[in-house]
Amino acid sequence: MNSILSLTGVSKSFDATEIIRSVDLDIIEGERHAIIGPNGAGKSTLYNLITGRYSVSQGSIRLRGRELAGLQPFEINRLGLARSFQVTNIFSNLTVFENIRCALLWSMQYRYSFWHLVRKQKQLNEESEQVLQQIGLGARKDMLAGVLTYAEQRSLELGITIAGGADVILLDEPVAGMSHTEADQSVELIKRISEGKTLVVVEHDMGVVFNLADRISVLVYGEIIATGVPEEIRNDIKVQEAYLGSLDEQDA
Amino acid sequence: MAKVRGLLVWIASLAVLLLLPGLFDSVLSLSILNQMGITIIFALSYNMLLGQGGMLSFGHAVYFGLGGFMAVHSLNYIEAEVFSLPVILLPLIGGLFGLLFAVFIGSFSTRRAGTVFAMISLGIGEMIAACSLIFVGFFGGEEGISGDRTMAPEFFGFDFAQDLEVYYLIAGWVFVATLLMYLFSQTPAGRIANAVRDNPERAEFIGYSQRMVRFISFCGAGFFAGVAGGLFAINYEILTEENLNAITSGNVLLMTYIGGTGVFVGPIVGAVLLTLLQTVLSNYTELWQLYVGLLFVATVMFMPAGLTGVLMIHTVAWKNGRLRQLILPYITVGVPAFVLLCAIVGLLEMLQFYRHGVVGEHEMTLFFVSVDTSSVWPWIVTLLIAATAGYLVKALTPRLLSAWASANAPLERAKT
Repeated sequence: MNSILSLTGVSKSFDATEIIRSVDLDIIEGERHAIIGPNGAGKSTLYNLITGRYSVSQGSIRLRGRELAGLQPFEINRLGLARSFQVTNIFSNLTVFENIRCALLWSMQYRYSFWHLVRKQKQLNEESEQVLQQIGLGARKDMLAGVLTYAEQRSLELGITIAGGADVILLDEPVAGMSHTEADQSVELIKRISEGKTLVVVEHDMGVVFNLADRISVLVYGEIIATGVPEEIRNDIKVQEAYLGSLDEQDA
Repeated sequence: MAKVRGLLVWIASLAVLLLLPGLFDSVLSLSILNQMGITIIFALSYNMLLGQGGMLSFGHAVYFGLGGFMAVHSLNYIEAEVFSLPVILLPLIGGLFGLLFAVFIGSFSTRRAGTVFAMISLGIGEMIAACSLIFVGFFGGEEGISGDRTMAPEFFGFDFAQDLEVYYLIAGWVFVATLLMYLFSQTPAGRIANAVRDNPERAEFIGYSQRMVRFISFCGAGFFAGVAGGLFAINYEILTEENLNAITSGNVLLMTYIGGTGVFVGPIVGAVLLTLLQTVLSNYTELWQLYVGLLFVATVMFMPAGLTGVLMIHTVAWKNGRLRQLILPYITVGVPAFVLLCAIVGLLEMLQFYRHGVVGEHEMTLFFVSVDTSSVWPWIVTLLIAATAGYLVKALTPRLLSAWASANAPLERAKT
């Protein structure tokens, strides 16, 4: 039980409204961890806190023991934590290839260099090609990212997230808005690219969650009410009441 | 293959730069060419901000002007033998001071793009322009500061007393500066500037500080604007408040936008075109600034990608071998559009002549035709021509659009 990302007593308030209430969460190195919860439970806010987009009101977030509170998103990314977005968030006026290459630049130590020519960097271009092949967009490399289909843009979103080689990857609803076939392909892709890495995923699609996750945490009204393996979560009374139960009521 | 072609473009550009004075050797055309060269560097540096970095600046003339003032002061120091420097290196002084000032201003103005950046640039621009009338010692008040380039040590026997020598000095700098700015756009810092322009937030999640990325582009833009200012100092041997005020800042924005911000050569096209309008068109009509304004409005409304952007959207049809389908529709719409344009110009010129012409003089020459503006007939005829041409343009445009759609159709199929 070697925890790589740990949240202790994390709270976040916007004005008087407490969105995240004293969340404790341990992500174990190498696991695939899903966070589920009804709409408005604060899942995206939690991501925004971990990745430095919002500042934490209280508590501490540690990546391999290193405190993340107060760091900028780019500093957190450099520590080896990458995220994808619920709403597709790509560089639409750059080519697909350029999107991936940009995502590789920092991790390959180019930093803010203005003395390297990108097209002459053999290794950089080869690795960009490899990522493109991995996400299945090899044939689209010279197209502008903005004109890709929705599913392709989601793949590119994933590609940008993993290209930098981060070993902790946070995905925010990676299959939202996809057809069943597209979602299945996407899950396979996610499994492939997260091999040997730690994966945290927020998802609404229960099929995807139970297929993908080693462990599941349930977030309701800003609190984690249960964490455990899929079987435990399925049978947890509190979860059934607070989350699955409410779904049943809606169905009835 | 692409590499060889790229090299050929640069060699051809160099050849054109070297041969131009042979084709246009009058005093007037040389001075126009010199102005063009300076403007090209200035506009390209502006596009490092606007086109490549997504920063809309209303105060870019500050770096041009300050670089120029430092260069002209240096000329005077050289004349007074405080230090010595060949005139050919003077733009470097302009560049370094442009850079220095950009480092200072950029350290706080590049925190955000968008409105915040635009407003800060406007404020700084106004502030420096106001300073130029307060600190008379440095800026020379309304008369400005003048110098004498021929007082600098000779450079391999050139004393730059001749306009032609100055032309080659400027051409050399245009080539080097353009090459350097192009190469910058091909480096990690240049590529990531494009990414930050498109989506600053995502850039932070791939490890880049949007602020730092903008700051680097901003410094580069300040440097090359300063180089252009230094060349201005050499060419005109005088700098005034006009060179760093909002009008100059506005001009560089206009020409960059009209030329096209999305293509590297866009600002070059804009700089050449606007310099021609300023120098040549202004000989023919007092209304030239109105036409430049109309051109800008038309660009913003009908072709936001600029002139080069309009050319670029034809590459799809060209690659599909369907460009020919567009020739006839272009001519059928283009001819009445041209007539409409001429008729509008005619009306504006007649109005200008009628209101501001010499008292008692009614005859003017319009498109090689003698016109009596006191008679009502020229007005009616021109209005009729404008109305007819306008109607034809409106009636024929749908055909052009459908021809455009069919010429680009194969892409749609390839995409899905």
